Amino acid sequence: MNQSPVETVEEFLYREATYLDQADLESWIQLFTEDGTYWMPAMHEQPDPMNHISHIYDDRVLMEIRKRNFIHPRAPSLQSPVQSSHLIANIREKGTTTIGERIIHSNFHIVMWYREEQRVFAGTYQHHLQSTASGFLIKHKKVQLINPEAAQKSIIIYL
Amino acid sequence: MNTPAIEASLDQLVEATRVNRQVYLDPDIFDLEMERIWGKAWIFIGHESQIPLSGDYFTTNIDHKTPVLMVRGKDHKIHVLHNRCAHKGAKIVTARSGKIAGAFRCPYHGWTFKHNGNLLKIPNESGYENTGFDLNDSCNNLQPLAQFDSYRGFVFASLSDQTPDLKTWLGGAIDCFDNLCDRAPEGEVEVAGGVLRYEHDCNWKFIIENLNDTMHPMIVHQSVVQSAEAYISTLDADAAKQKQEAEILLPFGASYENFEDSGITGFPYGHHYDGGKTSIHANYSVMPEYHKAMIDRYGEQRTQGIYAFNTHNTLLYPSLTIKCAIQNIRVIRPVAVNKFIVETWSFRLKGAPDEMLQRTLLYSRLINSSASMVGPDDLEVYRRLQEGLASNSSQWVEMHRQFGRDQQLEDRVTGGGTSDLDVRTQYKAWRHYMLGEAML
Repeated sequence: MNQSPVETVEEFLYREATYLDQADLESWIQLFTEDGTYWMPAMHEQPDPMNHISHIYDDRVLMEIRKRNFIHPRAPSLQSPVQSSHLIANIREKGTTTIGERIIHSNFHIVMWYREEQRVFAGTYQHHLQSTASGFLIKHKKVQLINPEAAQKSIIIYL
Repeated sequence: MNTPAIEASLDQLVEATRVNRQVYLDPDIFDLEMERIWGKAWIFIGHESQIPLSGDYFTTNIDHKTPVLMVRGKDHKIHVLHNRCAHKGAKIVTARSGKIAGAFRCPYHGWTFKHNGNLLKIPNESGYENTGFDLNDSCNNLQPLAQFDSYRGFVFASLSDQTPDLKTWLGGAIDCFDNLCDRAPEGEVEVAGGVLRYEHDCNWKFIIENLNDTMHPMIVHQSVVQSAEAYISTLDADAAKQKQEAEILLPFGASYENFEDSGITGFPYGHHYDGGKTSIHANYSVMPEYHKAMIDRYGEQRTQGIYAFNTHNTLLYPSLTIKCAIQNIRVIRPVAVNKFIVETWSFRLKGAPDEMLQRTLLYSRLINSSASMVGPDDLEVYRRLQEGLASNSSQWVEMHRQFGRDQQLEDRVTGGGTSDLDVRTQYKAWRHYMLGEAML
């Protein structure tokens, strides 16, 4: 009997990045647990997402709204195409959360093309990954920009 | 700058119901706006709660380039100073905020200055003996702004000593500071939860002309409203968390009638707000614990009165916008004719439960973040304005809606919520500052 190949952490992160490169939010959201969250803090060492402002702190509700908005024909900011290329490197295992999710840190460089301009984002990802029978699911993804306090131009897709 | 030619044309640029496109496009006009509007008006600097202790400072630019710092003195008083060494002119402080260690010290030749900006010490001072240099001349201090003052913790400064005092200048719009602070059970607010900075590649006036443009939300924000409706309709109606997001997003799709009913009130110097009796924030749920704290402090009647003053956006022309009902502000920092930064600051209502600040932050994330589903659509249409107005197919941008129907009262002018009263109010102030026309 052939055992189906098991996706490694690296392969999973690359697949997630590919969905974002392809702006395939439908597939991307499916990588999260039902109670999964996505967090882009607005400062270094930000203690929590609730009592300090963030660029993004989305749960499934907001991911679902964004997914619909992203393909809505009447969103003015989305009438210009967006293209990203994610590079993920320096992937390292950082132990487990108290409820047993694997904590994975990695570095990212993202080049994004939007509205006739090429922009660069860089920083560190932290993924909390649940292992399930069907593979990994993201319980939490934190996007720590190297310049979280800088004035940002419109960020119209998840990094 | 070709000043004489610009000067001659200024009077022709703004009419009662239309504005020449050059006010958004011409770098020379931008420079004049910086000199005459941003160089004369009271500009919002920061909030006293950002510098609670002696030596705490906060820095910003008061216009497109002039660096200033706000510092708490040893006597606990607030000073607003030019962030420029009196010696060779170096910027003294580069951090956005911090605490001075003993004194301000210039990193170039080590001149030091007291908290209030007064010169403290020059290294190797003897070199100045018998040179005509006067150590005690106030020109050797960090220079104070021509005027600075605060109202209920909100610190403003002016580069001009000719501007009327802050309270006179705020006029009836001062009610919005009172309402924001009165929404705190302890009657005070403090900056909390940090700042979002959002770069806008367009002229600074587009955002303040959009604030109370109530003809745009149902168009520009149709997508997010419909997306939220589509998803929320699939959920159980009683899921509280989902309701809070719905409560914030869905009113952006309110009808023309709703926005018309909210009304717009304009004041001298370009200030205005929409709402007051009702607004898109009017139907937010009241958190029981917060409500109890309010009743304990103010009693039922006064509490209801505070809630009932329900404004949407207030503009203190040209630099500050307030959301009383949300407890956040946006601060406009111009950079160039086609670039400005918007800062979103949130406030904690002293004496209110943490959930109130958390709602404020949720609002700022959902609406004002550069990564939200609302702010980027606003910016997109401003950029389309910047790009479209480069066409010379017409010289004019119109602002006729409900012109002639405004009600002039003693200290204010009121009109329909979907009127262009807000924009006309701004351009009246624009003519006052730019051309010296009487304001009152």
